Amino acid sequence: MVDIPHPVSVAGGPYDGVTFPYIPGAALAIDPRLRLHTDWTDKVDPITYEVVRHHLWNINEELGMTIQRISGSPVAMYAFDLNSSIFTEDGEFIYYGPYQLYMSGVSDVQVKWTLEHRSANPGIFEGDMFLSNDPWVGAAHQMDVTLLCPIFWEGKLFCWITNVLHQYDVGGITPGSFCPNARDAFDEGILIPPVKIIERGELRRDIEAVYLRASRKPYLVALDLRAQIAGNVAAGRRIVKLIERYGPDVVKGVMRRIIDTAETAFLQKMAKLPDGVFRERTYVEVARVGDRGTYQVLLTMEKRGDQLVFDNAGTAPQTGAINTTYSGWRGSILTAVNELLCWDQLYAIGGALRHIQFRPALGAFTCATHPASVSTAPVQAMEISLYPAYNTLSKLLAGDPQLRRDVMCIGGTSQFPLTCFRGVDQWGERFGYLLLDPMVGAIGAFSFRDGIATGGQVRSPICRIGNVEHNEQSFPILTLYRRENTDSGGAGKYRGGNSAITAFIPHGTTEIWHETESSGAAIPTAPGLFGGYPACTNAYDFRRDTDILQRFRVRQMPGDIGEVAGQEELLQLRQIDIRQGPADIYEVAFAAGAGYGDPLERDPEAVRRDVENGDIAPGTARDVFRVVLAGDDDTPSVDVAATAALRRQTLVERLGREPRAPAVRHPVVRRVTEALDLVSAAGRSQLACAGCGWLLGPASENYKTHALRIDRAIQTANPLIGDPRRFIDTEVAFRQFHCPGCGRLLENEVSRAHDPLLWDIQLTVDD
Amino acid sequence: MSDFIVGIDTGGTFTDCVVIDLDGRISTAKAPSTPRDFSQGVLDSLDLVASGLGLTTEALLRRTARLALGTTVGTNALLQRRGARVGLITTRGHRDVIHIMRGARGVPGLSSEAVLHFPESNKPDPPLVPKTLIAEVSERVDCKGEVVVELNEEDTRAAIERLVAKGVEAIAICFLWSFKHPDHERRVKAMAERLAPGVFVCCSVDLVPRWGEYERTAATVINAYLGPVTAAYMDRVGRRVHGASLATPVQVMQCGGGVVPAAQAARRAFLTLDSGPVAGVLASQYLGQILGQKHVIATDMGGTSFDVGLVYDGAPVASYQSVVNQYEYFVPRIDIRSIGSGGGSVIWLDEASGSLRVGPLSAGAEPGPVCYGRGGREPTVTDAALVLGYLDPDNFLGGRLRLSREAALASFEPLASRVGLGVVETASGACRVVEHQMADLIRKVTVQKGYDPRDFVVFAYGGAGPVHASVYARELGAHSVIVPLGGVCSLWSALGAASADLLHIHEFVDIQANPFDPGRVNAAFRALEDQGIAQLREDAVERTAARIARSVDMRYKGQINEVEVAVPDGALDAPALEVLVADFHRRYESLYGSGAGFREARVEIVTYRVRTSAVSPKPRLQPAPDQGPAPGPDARAETRPVYWAESGDFEATPIFLGERLRAGNRVKGPAVIQVPATTIVVHPGQAAQVDPYGNVLIAL
Repeated sequence: MVDIPHPVSVAGGPYDGVTFPYIPGAALAIDPRLRLHTDWTDKVDPITYEVVRHHLWNINEELGMTIQRISGSPVAMYAFDLNSSIFTEDGEFIYYGPYQLYMSGVSDVQVKWTLEHRSANPGIFEGDMFLSNDPWVGAAHQMDVTLLCPIFWEGKLFCWITNVLHQYDVGGITPGSFCPNARDAFDEGILIPPVKIIERGELRRDIEAVYLRASRKPYLVALDLRAQIAGNVAAGRRIVKLIERYGPDVVKGVMRRIIDTAETAFLQKMAKLPDGVFRERTYVEVARVGDRGTYQVLLTMEKRGDQLVFDNAGTAPQTGAINTTYSGWRGSILTAVNELLCWDQLYAIGGALRHIQFRPALGAFTCATHPASVSTAPVQAMEISLYPAYNTLSKLLAGDPQLRRDVMCIGGTSQFPLTCFRGVDQWGERFGYLLLDPMVGAIGAFSFRDGIATGGQVRSPICRIGNVEHNEQSFPILTLYRRENTDSGGAGKYRGGNSAITAFIPHGTTEIWHETESSGAAIPTAPGLFGGYPACTNAYDFRRDTDILQRFRVRQMPGDIGEVAGQEELLQLRQIDIRQGPADIYEVAFAAGAGYGDPLERDPEAVRRDVENGDIAPGTARDVFRVVLAGDDDTPSVDVAATAALRRQTLVERLGREPRAPAVRHPVVRRVTEALDLVSAAGRSQLACAGCGWLLGPASENYKTHALRIDRAIQTANPLIGDPRRFIDTEVAFRQFHCPGCGRLLENEVSRAHDPLLWDIQLTVDD
Repeated sequence: MSDFIVGIDTGGTFTDCVVIDLDGRISTAKAPSTPRDFSQGVLDSLDLVASGLGLTTEALLRRTARLALGTTVGTNALLQRRGARVGLITTRGHRDVIHIMRGARGVPGLSSEAVLHFPESNKPDPPLVPKTLIAEVSERVDCKGEVVVELNEEDTRAAIERLVAKGVEAIAICFLWSFKHPDHERRVKAMAERLAPGVFVCCSVDLVPRWGEYERTAATVINAYLGPVTAAYMDRVGRRVHGASLATPVQVMQCGGGVVPAAQAARRAFLTLDSGPVAGVLASQYLGQILGQKHVIATDMGGTSFDVGLVYDGAPVASYQSVVNQYEYFVPRIDIRSIGSGGGSVIWLDEASGSLRVGPLSAGAEPGPVCYGRGGREPTVTDAALVLGYLDPDNFLGGRLRLSREAALASFEPLASRVGLGVVETASGACRVVEHQMADLIRKVTVQKGYDPRDFVVFAYGGAGPVHASVYARELGAHSVIVPLGGVCSLWSALGAASADLLHIHEFVDIQANPFDPGRVNAAFRALEDQGIAQLREDAVERTAARIARSVDMRYKGQINEVEVAVPDGALDAPALEVLVADFHRRYESLYGSGAGFREARVEIVTYRVRTSAVSPKPRLQPAPDQGPAPGPDARAETRPVYWAESGDFEATPIFLGERLRAGNRVKGPAVIQVPATTIVVHPGQAAQVDPYGNVLIAL
């Protein structure tokens, strides 16, 4: 794997993790006094291989479980905001835990940095562990503290195990250390480049004291450190036992073969997929308090033979409190690569990484230099780095009939709506934290079925939220409702999963103070695939001085904020010091899963069920899916004839005439996506509608320019999207591209009105 | 005259019956299970065992002091989705609790592959209760148990009527914070019973008054789903056995590790889930007590799964949450952990890595392993055991099923050539892989609970357990394996039911940080003890016969994980409560490693728990006199070639008939001991000995 920095706005180097991010070269400069164990055998029989492989996976999984069981942080406990990894002696991935994936994605660079910068002084010895949270070396943000543990065999460095755990608070101007209002990194939590906190088996109390001193919750951070130590010690012991039992060369041979096997599997997939350039564009909005700006994110992924190259050129320069460092950007992309391409290898991404290059545009807000503010990275700049990677990879995977089943539309919370709150709780103690409920997420649609409503975060296959009863014990709130949000998922042939919405009032206290921080509230950040619609935007709703308490007295619980009388107040996306009084209702709704394919192709019976379950509103059935239902909303039935007529009429409206098939159907070379075929016509490669075969121009041109384009207001993309001008000054467009022959919806595009068409699929063709 | 204790366990394939008489003599019978009406299989098993004793079933039951029943009716109803049509009543605004599932996608019930690969995973579909059958009512209680919104009875009436109109057969009720203020749920329950006669009604506080609405709601819904089928089954069994002159109430096995009268079992049907494997752990506890083994790893390997439970210091290790059909739910129970490694697990080659894999796919009971000759094509663990010579093709399941070694061998051929090993080496390797998987599960179960497997003896039962136990136990470093009571080891859960005590578990949540208020603690325990005593009185047990065991779940303030700490009897004063805190620190460090705790942090009590039990009359096993180390000539069968990985070859291996081995007999490995329904494999370098009760003990 090669990382090639290509400066866009900042001149380069040195990439040592101080001002510029640490970017390891192809060969590491390691002090020769540190001896590495490099011997291995390829003579491992299939049974020993399976037994040792199984052990290694279990050791890593159990490392995560141990930490999760001991950790004090609710983020770690409910959100499984932790991960564990095993690396070779020189920092190549063996296994990557199934927890918060990006955390492992940022761990290999930290191992390599430690090898390069700590092997001479203070030296790396048996029994040592290094603590690290510096995003320029490799952490995602300051709260994600890594504990790196070298494992030795007979005096030689054999392998590394690491674990990362999100800490409750490591300092900074906002309790919880997410600092949406930070000017730069000096307003945020303490920065610690890898430092030897365990020296030959002993915890260094002096170093620990420095670390704990920054925190508002030193006891919890101390407990967490013990969890991290205990996890590494137990895992290290098991690896040594494995070596004792099977011999170092066999264990190392198995480690190598895990990587080699994963590499082979990756290459087999790459061989099936078309070469080309795949692009995705999205936006972050509002970088600081009072800002109304939008910040473009551009991800270009080139697939050439067995190589994948990721490039973020075209992304806006670093600014405000919306940034991430290089490792965060790269770690996010690794997450998508693992889930879409390496799931069958249990996330052993090391093999794939031998064929993946990164071209970071330094100074972009997704590859920020020191001292940019980065404390919100995982919920903002890293999410906005991650989700476009799902789409570029999904568009690539769509080109093979088998691998198309691995396509997954964007889900999770593609931008996390933060609710930072503080005050005095119902037990008389000060509190300050954030509401983790958006972790409930949603999974986007697949190529063959619907996504999963409130199915959690894609970037973390194992995560969960606390019960309402847990929240209400910890914080002085009364949750009026927390339910799945009708219509929040993207429409499509297959619907994206719905997310949730929650509302609360202060309870057991007189007031709560809030800070908001969100993006994806004006421009949806979960666009669909191949005609699928975007999911909803994030939304805060705030009503002052409502009659809620009077309603309580007459035995009424409102089921929705719309049922109460009160004064509506628009909360901005970065607003500080919002006071919530006893009768003020605070509501927040989360982005959801995106849809797949033209909604007109959704089975009307499925639409009927959606209405019956309240997953979509009856109006959406008619307006978006074009299905006519009879009967009441409780027990609807499909009017088959009226539905067929309405759908036909919709095609006519799109086309301005009756649908018409092309005179000739050209031979299909390859199905490119649900909507597009590559055909051979007039002696060259052209794209065509996968439905009717209508030609959409040469493959060397953007098919969108040959499609029938209809621009609509962004509010039509999802019933829950509101007017973007409440938050930003830019116009937002919902561009729809249809087949000029049959009227089928080929693709949608969410853009600022002034941005050019995105060429999302540019296949490499010979002619 | 009451001479017999009867234990019956209904499994998916067989209904096992164990009868123990006053002298400790054990008689057994296995009848095919009858899924259309499981009560038929129960009676069939009784008929069989009675005729073995030369009695009529009526005569047997007339002389039966106690009949305890383990049932799989609930598990079956869940598997086949044949439970009741359930309606759920919840707090307005919180309809979706059981659909959101805390955003965890139901991952705890999924395989690792499905966890890592989103397209393979989904929430339960269809759900146990659809959104259309959930009704919300206005009411609200807060975290301190104070009423914020009074129960709206008009809402409630409308909700019940709406659900009844939609044809529900059961109604589950779960409100937020109901365990701090049970009144609203109980009022709704009373209304539902009035307005919907004939509908099964249950509310969460009567089942699991615990903190956390999702797991509490799930438990309540599962209970409602199973209630009507379980009640109908209990009714049928009752009519059959009482009709056949059983005088005492049928007792039903519970996953908490005790039995309750059948009428109560129907009301708390969810407590019958997993009660079969739990009964196996109880039998292990019972036998462990007789043998003076305080720490036991109880392992049960059958056709489709491998179940592990623990007995530590003479008591089964408990857990308070479980998963079924991907739903996590609160339930106090003996902890059982399972993996899908059984005799039917399929052996395959992972082409990409060239690695030999076993499971999770299983050939199950149908078509079963290739050697059954019922259409299975992929080689399984049982086929491997047959190829290696562990199993006798003519004597499987007591000769009821003739196995085809040729078919098994043939099924390995294509696999072996792809793996690049011989057929036999491949079969042997597959056994090694599956034995390591099992050892790994046991290691997780013990180490994650803070126990060292080397302190334990392994009990191995179930059809396939004794075949592999001496290897997985050796991998763990356990000191010995015991295959219990010869022939009884394949009916182990039935023996467990026969040995179980009456047991009720009551829980109460009241979160409090230290220093604790003794008044508040004592009041909590007093209330729970009163509930337990009252319950036993309902079971016609005298207060003096009641045993009470108390515990609390504690945690560091601000942490989420809780640790159970035993609490001594009697009123607690401030120093006693300080001892509790010290016990917590100690238990915490034993779980998570020395130095993991942080004594400066404050500690909280979350849940109080009282187990009230009444000791049932126990089967009394009689030791047999020692017959010396040499097995009698009638105990030897002809030798058979058996493959031993230790030597890498087949060896003519002595075969023994377990039923004819006598107390004191010793068998040196390599050897195979055949007992009805299972086979004990003694590897080279190991030695087996029969103890006075007929247990086979293998020293590792």
